[in-house]
Amino acid sequence: MRRPLLPLLGRAWLALILVFLYAPILVMAAMSFNASPFYQLPFEFSTRWYADMAMNPQIIEASLRSVGIALATMVIATALGTAASIALFRYDFPGKRVLQVLLFPPIAIPWLITGTAMLIFFFAIGIGRGTPAVLIGHVALALPYVIVTVSARLSSFDVTLEEAARALGADAWTVLRRVTLPWIAPGIVAGALFAFAVSFDQFVVSYFLAEPGDSTLPVLIYTAIRKGFTPEINAISTIIITVSMGIMFLATRKSSFGGSR
Amino acid sequence: MAEITAPEDRRRLVTLLSPAYLWLTLAVFLPLSAMLFFSFLTDLPQDAPDWGFTLENYLSFGESEVYATLLWKSLKLGVTVTFFCILIGYPCALVLARTIKGRARETLFLLVILPFWSNSLVRIFSWAIVLRGNGVLERGLEAVLPWDIRLNLMFTTHAVVIGLVHSYLPYVILTSYLALQAIDDDIVDAARSMGASTLTILRRLLLPLSLPGLLAGAVLVFVPVVGSFMEPRILGGRHGTYYGTVIEDQFVAVYNWPLGAALSFVLLAVVLLILGLSTPILRRART
Amino acid sequence: MKTLLLTSAVALAASGAVADEIRVLNWQGYGTDLDWAVDAFAEATGHTVVHEYFNSEQEMLTKLRTNPGAYDVVMINAAFTPQAISEELISPIDTATLENFAGIPASFAEDPKLNADGQTYGVPWTWGLTSFAINTEAWDDTPTSILALWDEAHAGRVSIRDDAVEAMQLGALATGQDINDIRDLDAAAAKIAELLPNLRTFWSSENDWNQFMAAGELDAATYWSGSASRSAALGLPVQFVIPEEGAVGWLDGLSIPATSEHKDAALQFIDHMIDPDFYVKWDAEGAPASANAEAADALPDDAFNKAVLGDPEVAARVHFQAPIDDETREKYLEVWQGLKASQ
Repeated sequence: MRRPLLPLLGRAWLALILVFLYAPILVMAAMSFNASPFYQLPFEFSTRWYADMAMNPQIIEASLRSVGIALATMVIATALGTAASIALFRYDFPGKRVLQVLLFPPIAIPWLITGTAMLIFFFAIGIGRGTPAVLIGHVALALPYVIVTVSARLSSFDVTLEEAARALGADAWTVLRRVTLPWIAPGIVAGALFAFAVSFDQFVVSYFLAEPGDSTLPVLIYTAIRKGFTPEINAISTIIITVSMGIMFLATRKSSFGGSR
Repeated sequence: MAEITAPEDRRRLVTLLSPAYLWLTLAVFLPLSAMLFFSFLTDLPQDAPDWGFTLENYLSFGESEVYATLLWKSLKLGVTVTFFCILIGYPCALVLARTIKGRARETLFLLVILPFWSNSLVRIFSWAIVLRGNGVLERGLEAVLPWDIRLNLMFTTHAVVIGLVHSYLPYVILTSYLALQAIDDDIVDAARSMGASTLTILRRLLLPLSLPGLLAGAVLVFVPVVGSFMEPRILGGRHGTYYGTVIEDQFVAVYNWPLGAALSFVLLAVVLLILGLSTPILRRART
Repeated sequence: MKTLLLTSAVALAASGAVADEIRVLNWQGYGTDLDWAVDAFAEATGHTVVHEYFNSEQEMLTKLRTNPGAYDVVMINAAFTPQAISEELISPIDTATLENFAGIPASFAEDPKLNADGQTYGVPWTWGLTSFAINTEAWDDTPTSILALWDEAHAGRVSIRDDAVEAMQLGALATGQDINDIRDLDAAAAKIAELLPNLRTFWSSENDWNQFMAAGELDAATYWSGSASRSAALGLPVQFVIPEEGAVGWLDGLSIPATSEHKDAALQFIDHMIDPDFYVKWDAEGAPASANAEAADALPDDAFNKAVLGDPEVAARVHFQAPIDDETREKYLEVWQGLKASQ
C-alpha cells in the first residue's frame, strides 16, 4: 500500500538533521580527548583533561549544583506551567489575551536585561541573593517555554473527550488524570525538557544572584573565558551529556510519552 | 471552551492559573516594570541623586541611524533563522510523527533535544572549531573531495545563521511534532481513500491542522533570535554587530542602564507589533 | 609537640586570633586566585579566601554598590578608583601596616588616582600595557610601528578587541594624538574605519585570543602585556610589541570595600599579594608587571617584565591611562558602534 520512496527519503532527512544537531556535540566530546589546551588540530589523543577535571572540586561542585537547580526548575516550572496552560485552554475569561501576551516579554527581552532587573528588584524587596533567588529566577524564565509548548499540544485536544468522560460520571479530577493529562503528556515531557535546558544553560541570572563561591557551571564557564577555559569544560560536558543520554534511554524503556493514537 | 459561570469554575481557574502568574509577577513582571521605569530616567537613582525623568533614551533611537539599521538587520536575521528552522525542522517533525512508530520514535524525540542539555558557549565554540579556516569541516571535506576547499565560513553572517539555526531548531521540531502527532490517523486514511495525493494531504490537511504547533515553534525561535548577542559576537566576527550586541554594550561597557533598557523595550514593542500584525493574516490562512 | 602547638597558638593570636573567610572580587585567573598563593596565605595567617569574578569594570562597580558587606578585597583598575572613592565604595588603607609597601616607588604609591585627601585608597599592585602582539611565525622582522596592523600584507589576519575605549585610543596613537585627550576624534575614528576591513574578527577575551592565535587565524592582534606573557608561557609563538608611537599603560590596585567586615584579614591579604616572593612565582606562569620595584628586581634578568618593561627607554613611551568620564565613554561607544554597524 505504502510507497516506499517517500518514507525512505524522510528517514534520510531525519538522519541528516541528527548529524547536524550532533556535529558540535561530537566536536565537543572529541576536543575533551584532544591534548591541545587551545583546541588545536590535528587531533592528539589524551585523557589529561579528565584527570584534571577529576582533581578540580570547583568544577564538580558547580556541575552538581547546576544539575540540582535544573532538576528543581524542571519540576516546579512543569507543574505550574501545565496547570496554567490547562486553565488558559479550558476557560474563557476577560483578560485572557493579556495573560497570553505577557508570556512574551521574558522570551523577547534579552536575559541580560531580565537578569539585571531581577538583581535590583530582589535586593529592593529583600530576597537578596543565594540559591533560592536563583531558583525563583530560573523557574520564571522557564515558565513561558513550558506554557507555550504545552499549549501547542492542547490546541489539538478534543474537548468532547472530556465531556464524554464527564457524561459517563467521572469527576473533574478523574477526567484530568485519565483523559486530559495522558493526551497532553508529550507536550508536558517536551516542556519539561526545555525547562531543564533553559535552567541548565542560564548564566546571567545565576551570575548575578548566586552567592560568591556557590557558582554554577555556566557561570564558571562564562567567567573563565576571559582567561581561557581549558578542555576540562568539554570533559565535564561530555560526561553530563553521556549520563543524561543513558537516563533518557532508560526512561524510554519504562514509559511511552511520544503520544499514542 | 467554556465561559466562566459557576463559582466552582472560577475557583478552579484561579487555582490553576495563579501559581504560575504570581511566580512570573514576582520574578519577571515587577523587575521588568522597574526596568521600564528606569528607561524614562536620566540616571539611575542609586548612582545620581539628581536624577530626573526624560524621553531622551527613546528619542536617541530615532536620532542615530545606527540603532534602526541594526534593529532591521536583527529582524532580517530573525526571519532568516526562523525560515531555515521551519524548512529543516518541519519535515523532520513530519517524519518523526507520521512514519516512525514505537520505541524508535520516543528515542528520536529525546535525541532531538539532548544537544540542548549542554552549555551554549561550549556549543558555539565547538561550531567555531568546525567552521574556522582549516577546521573540522574543511579538513573533513578535503579528505573526501579531491580538490582544495576554502569555505571561509567563519566570521560571516552564514556562520551566525548556522549557529543560531542549530540552537533553536529543536523548538520547531518538537512543537510541530506535538501538533502533527495529535492528528487522527483515520482522517488521513479517509482522505487517501478518497484519492487525495500525498501533497494534497500535506497541504490541505496536515499543514493546517498542525499550524498552531508550527507557529508556537516559530515564535520561540524568532523572538529570542532578534535579541541574541552571543552567537553573533563569537561567530560573526566583524560582521557580528546586531541590535542585541548594542544593548549588551550599553549594560556591560558603559553602564548606561536607562538607554539599554529603552532599547530593549523598543525591541519588545517591535516584536509584539510584528506578532500582532501577523496573527490575523495567519488566522485567515488557516481557514 | 607541646611547644609547637603553643607557638602556633601564639602565632594565631598575634595574627588576629580568629581565622576569617575573606571574599575577593577580581577578574578570574588574575593572580589572587592562584591555588598555591591562596594555600600559602591560609598557612601563614589561617584565613581562607573565596573569590567572586567580574567581567568588566562597570560590573565590578555595580557589584560593590548592590552587595554591601559581601567583599573584603577588590581589584580596581586605577582609572576607575577615583569613581569608587567618590561613591564611597572603598575605604582608606593604613599603608604603614603593610610590610611590603615600602618597595613600591613613589611614582605609583603617590599616584593621584589612588589617593584622595592625603589618604591611600588603592595599593598599587600590577601594571602593564595595552599594545599589540604578533605571531612570530608570520613576520620576518618584528614591526616597530603600530601601523603594522594596517599593513596590506597581513590583511584579513588582524584582530582588535571589541572595546570602544581601546579602539579610540588605538586610533589616537595611530594619528599621533594624546590618548587621554583625543582632540580630533573624527580623525581617530576615520583611522579605525580604515583598519576594520583588515580585521579577521574582534576578540573579546584572552580565551578567544589564544584560540584564534593557536588556530593560525591571526598574524597580529592588540593585546595586554600580562596576557601576552601568559600566552607565551603556554607555548604560543607570541611576541609583544611596544611600537615607536607608544602604548597605553594601566595600573591595577587593590582596595578594601567600605562595607568589609574583615578589614584586618583583607590588609594581610593585600600585603601577601605585593610580596616579592609571591610575584616571582606568579611571573613564571605569566603575569603583568609588578608595581613593587623590589619584586621586579627579584625577577630573572631575561624576564619580559624586567628586561623590556624595566627598560627606561620603553618606559618613556608609555602613556598611562587617565580616568574617563561617563560622557566621553558613551561618546566613544556611539562612534564605535557606528563604525561596527557599517560593516
